[in-house]
Amino acid sequence: MNIKTILASGLTVGLLFATQGINFAHAFDKKSSITVVSREEGSGTRGAFVELFDIMGEIKGKKADLTTLDAQITNSTSVMMTTIAGDEYAIGYTSLGALNDSVKALKINNAEASVANIQKGLYPVSRPFNIVTLGEAQNAIAKDFIHFILSTEGQNIVSQAGYIPLNDTKPFQVAKVQGKAIVGGSSSVAPVMEKLAEAYKKINPQAEIELQVNDSTTGMMSTINKTYDIGLASRNLKNQEMEQGLKATVIATDGIAVIINKNNPVENLDTKQVKEIYLGNTLTWDQVSK
Amino acid sequence: MFSNALNEKIMRGVFFATACTSVLAVVLICFFLFSNGANALSEIGIFEFLFGTIWRPNIDVYGIFPMIIGSIYMTFGAILIGVPIGILTAIFMAFYCPSILYKPLKIATDILAGIPSVVYGFFGLIIIVPMIKDFGRFLGMGGNGNSLLTASILLGIMILPTIISVTESALRAVPKLYYEGSLALGATHEKTIFHVLIPAAKSGILASIVLGIGRAIGETMAVIMVAGNQARIPSDIFQGARTLTANVVIEMGYATGLHRDALIATGVVLFLFILVINAILAILNKRT
Amino acid sequence: MDNSSFFTQKFQQKILVYKNSPSSCLLMLLVLGSAILTFSTLLYLILHITIKGIPHIQASLFSFTYTSENASVIPAIVNTIIVTLLSLLFAVPLGIFSAIYLVEYANQKNKFINFIRLTTITLAGIPSIVYGLFGMLFFVISCGFGFSLLAGALTLTIMILPLLIRTTEEALLAVPTLYREGSYGLGAGKLRTIFRIVLPSAIPGILAGIILSIGRIIGETAALVYTSGTVAKMPDSIFSSGRTLAIHMFNLANEGLYMNQAYATAVILLVVIIFINSLSYYLAKKLVKI
Repeated sequence: MNIKTILASGLTVGLLFATQGINFAHAFDKKSSITVVSREEGSGTRGAFVELFDIMGEIKGKKADLTTLDAQITNSTSVMMTTIAGDEYAIGYTSLGALNDSVKALKINNAEASVANIQKGLYPVSRPFNIVTLGEAQNAIAKDFIHFILSTEGQNIVSQAGYIPLNDTKPFQVAKVQGKAIVGGSSSVAPVMEKLAEAYKKINPQAEIELQVNDSTTGMMSTINKTYDIGLASRNLKNQEMEQGLKATVIATDGIAVIINKNNPVENLDTKQVKEIYLGNTLTWDQVSK
Repeated sequence: MFSNALNEKIMRGVFFATACTSVLAVVLICFFLFSNGANALSEIGIFEFLFGTIWRPNIDVYGIFPMIIGSIYMTFGAILIGVPIGILTAIFMAFYCPSILYKPLKIATDILAGIPSVVYGFFGLIIIVPMIKDFGRFLGMGGNGNSLLTASILLGIMILPTIISVTESALRAVPKLYYEGSLALGATHEKTIFHVLIPAAKSGILASIVLGIGRAIGETMAVIMVAGNQARIPSDIFQGARTLTANVVIEMGYATGLHRDALIATGVVLFLFILVINAILAILNKRT
Repeated sequence: MDNSSFFTQKFQQKILVYKNSPSSCLLMLLVLGSAILTFSTLLYLILHITIKGIPHIQASLFSFTYTSENASVIPAIVNTIIVTLLSLLFAVPLGIFSAIYLVEYANQKNKFINFIRLTTITLAGIPSIVYGLFGMLFFVISCGFGFSLLAGALTLTIMILPLLIRTTEEALLAVPTLYREGSYGLGAGKLRTIFRIVLPSAIPGILAGIILSIGRIIGETAALVYTSGTVAKMPDSIFSSGRTLAIHMFNLANEGLYMNQAYATAVILLVVIIFINSLSYYLAKKLVKI
């Protein structure tokens, strides 16, 4: 036996320990405190969520987002999903388009989170997807692309992607324009925009749409300084941005699902209960379920 | 070609000019940071900004004290975990490692230096967070795993490649004579390493620690995923916290006006922070 | 210091040594323990990525174009290589020359030299997001490069400069003074000594720095999102925008829609890093022989 063998076996044992994560199985304990997960301040999703559930109060004469400071914050949809999927006591929210079966979507006021219920007005939580231009679009391609997005064909793609399309659209009139347009901004809007750009290229192969994915504010700033022809925002525009000449058009509506862990027996919450949880007044699950 | 005096002079100038690029870069970055941050500092007030404990941008209350504390705790935790393990591993690589194992291990550390933080972040989220959650509940401390402790462990792992690599080359640079001389005087392998070689490689090891601290403080993408990011002062290591970098990255995408300036000012604070740490290390380096 | 001397000794001899000096034994165990801990963690991390990613590597991932249906990595790989090469092209000469000045020419007591040292350390500590914002304001907007591979590479150049300077400095300092004196003694000038004697002996150390830098470039996201942009297409020139593999992965993972592809991309990233590392080892061997 020499040191080499000792070392080799040591490495193996270490590896075994590392792969065997400690696992304690335990039943759902309603007395446990709720892990509140929220998006970052200023995120389009959070803005809409806070407004619709009225998680607000008055401070210094201003209406303000009062989400509890104990809420865990994330700036990514997948981190939100993974956190909720891994913590029995967590509650969070996400875009309806990004929902998958690793988590459970709650009914709100007994209405399931679905495109149909939002259109009927039964499910109360949704927000607009905006595109912005500096004044009227100057670039011919950008102009034509916007026409396409707002047309029946474009809106079909929106609804196929799981978002709520606009009503009363007209078929797209093919215009023979060529050139390049730069589109960029919110990463929430980007996936559907990607599909729209691909469909548009099929109709008008001479056009080139360049898509930059970052965030709403970068999208707005870059449209203002003319780096982008079209900016994408998953929130409403701020006054400051409108003052600089940005013009917004709603291209779709996105639902927001309130999500919990699959082991959590709770199925339904009403608006007030969600509000109290996010304000930090309701701290344990037994306070919201009988 | 390199023989005449004119060439010598020209090249000396070229070398000097290149050495000045880093100065130029710092000046440019400072100019950009300070000119944007100064506005926020004057509007919010330096004292309120640095020592305010409430961060609520939507009502224009900007206090970054919780984030300062968060950054200090997390970096300290990462150093506590990463530096000793990293240096000991570098010693292993330089003086113990069997030659068969050396190459694969070396390649493994190089690979790890190149893995994007996002991957580390997901690794932390899927593996370390549940472990810490169970550990915390086992100890009766609660918390849901997204905590100071988790972030410190993850950061500790992330700075390992840097520390190992730089420390190892520093140790290897110590002349062979030192080692042989010490052995000849009757010291053991270990005593030689710890009493002779490490002191001799001190400057390189300190450099590795500085680089490690730099990486730990500057790391964002991975920390954001596992730290919880609550903008309040944590009361124990099983609670979440937000770092200065996380504060910038999380909100920069959406911020406008004063909020944006406040975030850039957060960057300025971070910058000053690093200057202070560097100054301390420079003093330490001189004294010993 | 021969690596294997520790192992060639008879095991019993070792035990005897450690019996006489328990503190040595303790230190040895500490070293071995840390190494086992480090490498089992590292191995576990690599295994975790490979196991999650390999099942999702399909031929379609390597098609020439990227569409929303098929998250191809080829454009991202091309962009990564371009950005890496460009950054190294700028940073390596700058870094090595700076280090040569600092080590071989500078008067070590000079205040300005200390200032240069301080600035490099400062640069090393600046978070990548700050580089990203600076790069956007300076290279993208002020210099007018737009979102482009060039702007990204220049930003990264500044970012990896301190690492290169620091490691090259260490490597140069490690070259014994005897070499220099010997060269001078034979009548060689300073430049000749540096380029023919000092630099070649320092190559392994310098290369370690370059490999670390490549690692940082390949893994970087925050500094590139705002400079090189996030377009998922083949670049036309260094002035077109493009996403590197890391940004590609970040975008895939962020919205949670393409997690499998994200892991597959991570595996490919590992392969690229291994490839680049082996290439540099190969080059190092060649250079050292000369």
